[in-house]
Amino acid sequence: MLAYAIRRIFMLVPVFLAVSVIIFLILHLLPGDPIDNLLKVGAPVEQRAEMMARYGLDRPLPVQYAIWLGKLLTGDLGTAIVARRPVADLIGQALPHSLALGGLALLFSSIVGILLGFVAALNRDRFLDRAIMGGVLLGSPLPSFWLGLLLILAFSVQLGWFPVSGARNWSSLVLPVLTIGLGGTALVARITRVSMIDIASRDFVMLLHAKGLSPLRIQLRHVLRHALIPVVTILALRIGWILGGAVTVEVVFARPGLGTLLIKALNQHDYPVVQASLLMLAMAVMLGTLFGDLLQAAIDPRVRGALA
Amino acid sequence: MKSLALRKALAAAGISLAALLANHGASLAQEAVFVIATNEVGAPTYNPIKASNLNIATTLLFDRLVSQDTDLSFHPWLAESWEEAPDGMSWIFHLKKGVKFHNGEPFNAETIAKWLELFKASENAYMTKAIAKVEVIDDATVKFVMSNPEPNLLYNFSSSYLSIIEPKSFVELGDNYGVTEVYGTGPFKLESFVVGQETVLVRNDDYAWASPLAKNRGPAKIAKLTLREIAEDSTAFLELKSGGVDMLLGVPTDFLTEIKAQDNLEVLTLPGQDVAYMPINVTKEPFTDIKVREAAAKAINQKEILDSVYGGVGEVANTFLISALPEADIDAKYKISYDPDRSNALLDEAGWAKGADGIRAKDGKPLKVSLWTQSDSSFRRLTEVVQAELKAVGIDSEITTFDSSAIRDQYKSGNQQLAVRSYNWDNADIIDWFFGGDRLGYPNVSMFNDPKAEELRAKAMTGSKNMAERIQNFKAYHEYVLSQFPMAPIYQPVTSVGYNKDRLVLPAEIHAPSVGATVIMDIEVKE
Repeated sequence: MLAYAIRRIFMLVPVFLAVSVIIFLILHLLPGDPIDNLLKVGAPVEQRAEMMARYGLDRPLPVQYAIWLGKLLTGDLGTAIVARRPVADLIGQALPHSLALGGLALLFSSIVGILLGFVAALNRDRFLDRAIMGGVLLGSPLPSFWLGLLLILAFSVQLGWFPVSGARNWSSLVLPVLTIGLGGTALVARITRVSMIDIASRDFVMLLHAKGLSPLRIQLRHVLRHALIPVVTILALRIGWILGGAVTVEVVFARPGLGTLLIKALNQHDYPVVQASLLMLAMAVMLGTLFGDLLQAAIDPRVRGALA
Repeated sequence: MKSLALRKALAAAGISLAALLANHGASLAQEAVFVIATNEVGAPTYNPIKASNLNIATTLLFDRLVSQDTDLSFHPWLAESWEEAPDGMSWIFHLKKGVKFHNGEPFNAETIAKWLELFKASENAYMTKAIAKVEVIDDATVKFVMSNPEPNLLYNFSSSYLSIIEPKSFVELGDNYGVTEVYGTGPFKLESFVVGQETVLVRNDDYAWASPLAKNRGPAKIAKLTLREIAEDSTAFLELKSGGVDMLLGVPTDFLTEIKAQDNLEVLTLPGQDVAYMPINVTKEPFTDIKVREAAAKAINQKEILDSVYGGVGEVANTFLISALPEADIDAKYKISYDPDRSNALLDEAGWAKGADGIRAKDGKPLKVSLWTQSDSSFRRLTEVVQAELKAVGIDSEITTFDSSAIRDQYKSGNQQLAVRSYNWDNADIIDWFFGGDRLGYPNVSMFNDPKAEELRAKAMTGSKNMAERIQNFKAYHEYVLSQFPMAPIYQPVTSVGYNKDRLVLPAEIHAPSVGATVIMDIEVKE
């Protein structure tokens, strides 16, 4: 298992380098630069070149990339050009909020999704199954910013249960978590259901029935356990996805977080901040995948064997 | 027995839950929650020397030497009075006595000297560049010896970048000044600040030096002011509607009718500082011909746009400047207004004859131009109306939309013909910024580079000894630029502030260009 884990972690290095090149290039090839956001009306014409030089933006791109990567490897994310603060500070302030939101949303969609999938599988092709699957399907394609506004209208403006926006206490987390969580629930529920139905038709389940175990016990202890393997993989993959998906939701609910930081920095072309935020999101996807693989390997010895 | 205890516990939990939920609104006495305008969201520090963008809290934490009224005239603040030498080569400022910073340090002439020295490190240092030497005459008098006359000095001293910082703590705190701690002389002190989320300010009880434009001579009436940052307009509106906040400092036009429809909400309208206009690239065919430029400019029906696109809220624009500026008060013959007959006549004269489809053509070439705009929905709508109005005189234009953050780079290519854009500024030097011959592409989207204009520009920017002269010189520059039609003025929006009138009482008369320290000093919270 340890050997597998080490090998899997080493595979992340080239991926990380490739991702860093892509992030850097995409950003610098976008038209516009941060200096336009710094120059005030009345600033003398020469100031532009002066500022380009001060932030090293006049150097060739490969040199800029090398400098950035070099600092990155020593843990220095640089200083924001427009925001004027160490990027690590900005990220440090934003990340806990994003993790709390993403984590709770993931938890919500796992619990509710698995529960719904389980119930649907038990009632296969009956009314309850159709109702659940139809319901989650309706919820999944809604754009999250729109769903967020609808939830605010219903639960904050009409019913007054939760605050409209902000991040002052736990109650302000409810609506954003629901907004992100509902989208993921559909996927988890469907995979749980399909996988359970698949496992339920296996021979070993037939044997368990023949041995006279109670059907609920078989479903819970044996079928669900096997059925969860693909579900866990999907959930791990979604760790990064959920952090990225929170971007618009954070803006709608006026919550601090990576998303709000990223959008503001993108509008101002604040390169160091955008690079660091995107890198965080990319790392979340990479670590999520890694975590999923390790978890799968831990559950299923066949996976470990395949790479060995 | 057991179930009864359980029930009790549940009931108690329910009550505390309800209390927690009810507590989120701003319901405590003399406390208010404002939402700052969306364009100020994300300001990372309250350090006026280092920052590149500052939000409204800056104006509450710090005072300035000079304050400005709604009509943009200058009034005392921390400077009680000032004298300018006739040749413009020196200024004397008499400072208010007894002013103290939040950390107890005194404010005096020495403070000004140290602060202006520190300000030289700012990227906005050009604002005080003309000050060659600061002489401390006595505790309450300071003299600026100038290297060249700077008639714009009062305007600069009223800018939030020239908010007066406390030099000692500024040096001690370094980068933390403005983030973790900040000391000014303003009516509020910083309690907490979370970037992009909220700033909590508490009243400075010693405050007794408000600008004379405010009625209140003592400390502010609001004891605790929370300034929240909400990037999404719909969310901010729902917060106001549900009573979660008391005031929105910037309300987009789309929400005005919604707010007016609510019984407890009110809209305060202030003159805006924006001008929407259509730059015309003077270096691109067919606009190299001044007749075609004038025709395009006079095809824009400002009144129709004001009524149909903006529901009559705001003002038409007939010059390049906001109408509150004295430099906008120019000879009527230079003002650009809708005149379709003149437009048609000019195009006929220039050889562009109307074809069967209503589009003009010359030598078999149709009068087809590009019309650039940015992706925000308000710009799209305005641009579509402009397109229709151009078509009415026979100019066929094709709209190209660019992302708002990328369009400046597109302008630098110089390929634009017509565009629809807007700016936000309240000083005549904006003409220099957008039409100066050394800033072609962006900001000079019109690619306007005219020797006579450059001459007038130099005179306006650096050749004026005092304010009156500066106004005259800028008027002449403004008039000449308009006479060359490098753009068509369209619209001047107003600034709309939405508030809950069951919670806040605003002063009857507003004496400030925007809601800032002067106005907030007089705002009362209903108990």
